[in-house]
Amino acid sequence: MDLAIILFGLRVLSALILLLLVLVLIWVIWRDYRATMSQITASRRAHGSLIVMQEIEGAYVLTGDIYPLLPLTSIGRSPTNTIRIEDTFASSEHALITRRNGQWWLEDRRSRNGTTLNGIAITKPVVITNGDMIGIGHIRYRVNLET
Amino acid sequence: MDESATDLALKTDELELSRESQTERLLLLIGGGFIAINFSALMLLRSSNNLIEWLPLLIWIGCAIGGHLLLHRYLANRDPLIFPLVMFLSGWGLVIIDRLAPRFADRQAIWLIVSVIMMFLTAEFPYLMRWLKRYRYTLLIGGLILLISTILFGTNPTGQETAPQLWLGFGGLFFQPSEALKVILVAFLASYLAEQYPLLRAEHLRDHRHLPLSPRIIGPMILMWLLAVIIAVWQRDLGTAVVFFMVFIILLYVASGYLWILVSGGFLTVLAAFAAYYLFSVVRLRIDIWINPWIEAEGRAYQIVQSLMAFAAGGIFGQGVGQGNPTFIPVVHSDFVFAALAEEWGLFGIIAMIFCFMLLIVRGFRVSALHQDRPFYALFAIGLSALLAIQSLLIMGGVLKLVPLTGVTLPYISYGGSSLLISFIIAGLLLRLSCGERS
Repeated sequence: MDLAIILFGLRVLSALILLLLVLVLIWVIWRDYRATMSQITASRRAHGSLIVMQEIEGAYVLTGDIYPLLPLTSIGRSPTNTIRIEDTFASSEHALITRRNGQWWLEDRRSRNGTTLNGIAITKPVVITNGDMIGIGHIRYRVNLET
Repeated sequence: MDESATDLALKTDELELSRESQTERLLLLIGGGFIAINFSALMLLRSSNNLIEWLPLLIWIGCAIGGHLLLHRYLANRDPLIFPLVMFLSGWGLVIIDRLAPRFADRQAIWLIVSVIMMFLTAEFPYLMRWLKRYRYTLLIGGLILLISTILFGTNPTGQETAPQLWLGFGGLFFQPSEALKVILVAFLASYLAEQYPLLRAEHLRDHRHLPLSPRIIGPMILMWLLAVIIAVWQRDLGTAVVFFMVFIILLYVASGYLWILVSGGFLTVLAAFAAYYLFSVVRLRIDIWINPWIEAEGRAYQIVQSLMAFAAGGIFGQGVGQGNPTFIPVVHSDFVFAALAEEWGLFGIIAMIFCFMLLIVRGFRVSALHQDRPFYALFAIGLSALLAIQSLLIMGGVLKLVPLTGVTLPYISYGGSSLLISFIIAGLLLRLSCGERS
């Protein structure tokens, strides 16, 4: 076969492979984008709720506020938190609830007055379950998980 | 018996392949196909039956397989695009160098082996990030000593007295310390700004007016930048000076969020260009031939005019590898590789190449976005990607006469051992950062 024809064939082949590479790269970033988006929407979906209660003369009373429980829920006085409390007892970044490997963890973010779980002050991250009471100042949050 | 055992091992390996490794393997395969086809075409054109001439391709394949297996084994959740892109670009570079200057190809291939090994070691080195962060001043002083030693003992591999003396040579090996200094400088700036980051943010949140940064924050950085730029200008290495300055501006902008930094950075660049125009004959020449190369097309602007001719000759689909005449451009294999690529692969080829660069840099930014809670990692990834971005933009723009020509290499593609090595180390750092924290 003529050398020129072989060379031309190789040129066409190389152009096609280059095109294939570009398309595959686009496909990979598209797949990546889709995966990230579904991850983000999943992390925005509520997995339960936090029911706010207040201590009045030794009894807990529903205040009527219910917050959605997100995989990353932060509680505190600063407006950047997911749940903002207007209570001078709370620190600006008080506590954090995270979902890790299917479990829900509560941790205190070194707040001034501490966080309690069912009345006991927590010092390290703990797993929380349905019906637990998280206490910050005079406020209690009852954990209501979706099953 | 042995065969069936290895077969089984391979099979379980296939089953366990993560999605990252699958993607990486697929991309390496396609990229390798492109490189092999072009290399074969080149060999066919030379009608050589000498096996030794196939060495660069074999080395590339070895590096791709070895690198992939090592990464697959040790960095399971790495970014799957960085390594294939880097290998594809460097393989393409190898083909172009073999086509333009065959005697340099073997040397470049050996540098490729060293680079891939160094990339892997950088990605795997224990506590590397912590060390870079903690010992930043030691690192900076080390880098500056390297640079000063270049000024004192610098040579040029061609042996010319008039050429910039930017290399350190020992026993036939030449290394360009300014390349290493780029990474060191980015590590230093990222570490420094990460430490100041809470302060910068607090200032931004407290008063929304765009206050100038306090001298406490900006002072040492300006000093350090001045030092780097003075030395770079002193060495007549303008490209490196511009890259330093732009990376500095981008990092400062990303860390502080003040738009005026970008504006004043652009202003300072123009000012510096004006000053340099009157101070340095090299700059004056570069800007003169940028504004109008045609009056001196046979003289001082010969290189850039030939480069433009190469682009014109390439057209949309190019002349095909080894079938154009890019060697009309003087020293085409280092700074003007982009023009050679344009002539032989055409617009189609350069769009694909720019796409690869763009994707690499976007992945770098993505790595940075993964580390929003760790300012050092985020800024380091931004700085490294910005380094690649600015350097490739400067030289591609320069070769196309979009901006005045500054002598920097095109990362991964140009001929040059130190450039290749440092570019692969950057890839290694990005791979490491893409894996998240492991200390």
